[in-house]
Amino acid sequence: MSFNIDTIIYTLIITTIVMVIYLYMELRKKLQKPEYDTKTLLKCPKCGYQIEKNYELGEFIGMVKGKCPKCNTPMKIIAIYVVEKTLKPRKT
Amino acid sequence: METDWTTLITQLIWIIFFIMIFTGANQKIQMKLWGIDIRNKLSLINKYLLEDRNKIENILRNLGVETPSVLIRRATNFFTIDPVSIEPTDIIKRMDHLIRISDKSFRNLVSLYVKNIDKYEKSLVETSLSIYAAINQVYKIIRHYLLLAEKENNWILLMQLELQMPQILKIVETYHEALDPFTKGKPIGDSAGPLVAYRLIENGKIVSKTVVEETSITELWMDNRRIYVIKAEGPGSNVGRPGHVLADLVEKLNGNVDLIITIDAALKLEGEELGEIAEGVGAAIGDPGPEKIAIERAATKYNIPLRALIIKMDFKDAIYTMKKEIFEACERAYDYTRRLIRELTPPNSTIIVAGIGNTIGVPG
Repeated sequence: MSFNIDTIIYTLIITTIVMVIYLYMELRKKLQKPEYDTKTLLKCPKCGYQIEKNYELGEFIGMVKGKCPKCNTPMKIIAIYVVEKTLKPRKT
Repeated sequence: METDWTTLITQLIWIIFFIMIFTGANQKIQMKLWGIDIRNKLSLINKYLLEDRNKIENILRNLGVETPSVLIRRATNFFTIDPVSIEPTDIIKRMDHLIRISDKSFRNLVSLYVKNIDKYEKSLVETSLSIYAAINQVYKIIRHYLLLAEKENNWILLMQLELQMPQILKIVETYHEALDPFTKGKPIGDSAGPLVAYRLIENGKIVSKTVVEETSITELWMDNRRIYVIKAEGPGSNVGRPGHVLADLVEKLNGNVDLIITIDAALKLEGEELGEIAEGVGAAIGDPGPEKIAIERAATKYNIPLRALIIKMDFKDAIYTMKKEIFEACERAYDYTRRLIRELTPPNSTIIVAGIGNTIGVPG
């Protein structure tokens, strides 16, 4: 069994390229971590109108905050939760 | 000439290969690589620790603590020794005693440094310190095994550590991210049980409310039935003592209870859907033992049906800010609980519903 020196060099180059691509893909995989936004869900106890807004420090479930845009009744926080940030569409 | 070079390189590769195989040099190289990888991951954990420490120090300074580093050091090194398990007689009693003392001592320790703040803020500080202590403990254990493996040239130990590192790192990242809801007082996935209980309190006709051992008991009327809702007192970071409180309540009612329902967050299996609800029999509570056994004993003593409702999520979801899917599952679980009550008991029955879990961000 005999190898040509060119064959060895080509094999080494191809192996290196494959390894670099693999490492790059692994790195990209690790970087793709989901990000979350905290939201507060308010509900009007009178008409049932619901509104979702960004969370503010100090808010808790059951807290009375703001007024209903429909019937002007004080609204109540019924939930605080996180939603996954949606990826921004690419500009073309 | 070209062929000579090729043969030489091939021969050289073979010789190196055999030398490495027979002398174990390949394993030494592998050990070095594993060691480097573990050290990299360890330095990442150390980075998380520093970030969390700075965050907690800032919070403590804002609360007027002059020497936050002293409190952090004392809280981080605080430990509880497990009770003797080779003699199982009264182990639950001993465990319960140790858990109570441990909780009380840790709270007293925090109180020594953090004065003049309300219960709510104090509970957030206590939990934040506990999270920091947990990450620090993981860091110290990994460092211990890494140094031990290198010192004793133990490649099996190093290999085990290397293979477990991704999983360990995931747990550490989960704890690191969990610091955010606990410093801000947002509800977490584990608050699912207390949230369902709170919905019942919110929608029922309240008769009375008492707080025992940081656990609230709300007596209310709903669907023509008398319901006692038990949950940790909120909205601070608190799990209460629902098992003992439930057992005491059953005794107080002389066992005249028609149904006990426990609602808790439960770890889902991989492939299961987040927020899936399942019903079953038994006490749905994930404590080390004393609370769960108290519920089981009370139900068994008076032959009370013991039903459980679980909301499935993974470990990360349980200690991170509640996801929308879990909130929606809580709404479904609330309807499910009411349906169970109507199906299993006749009107005018007495029912106990216990919402198990950390009530952070959920009042009542």
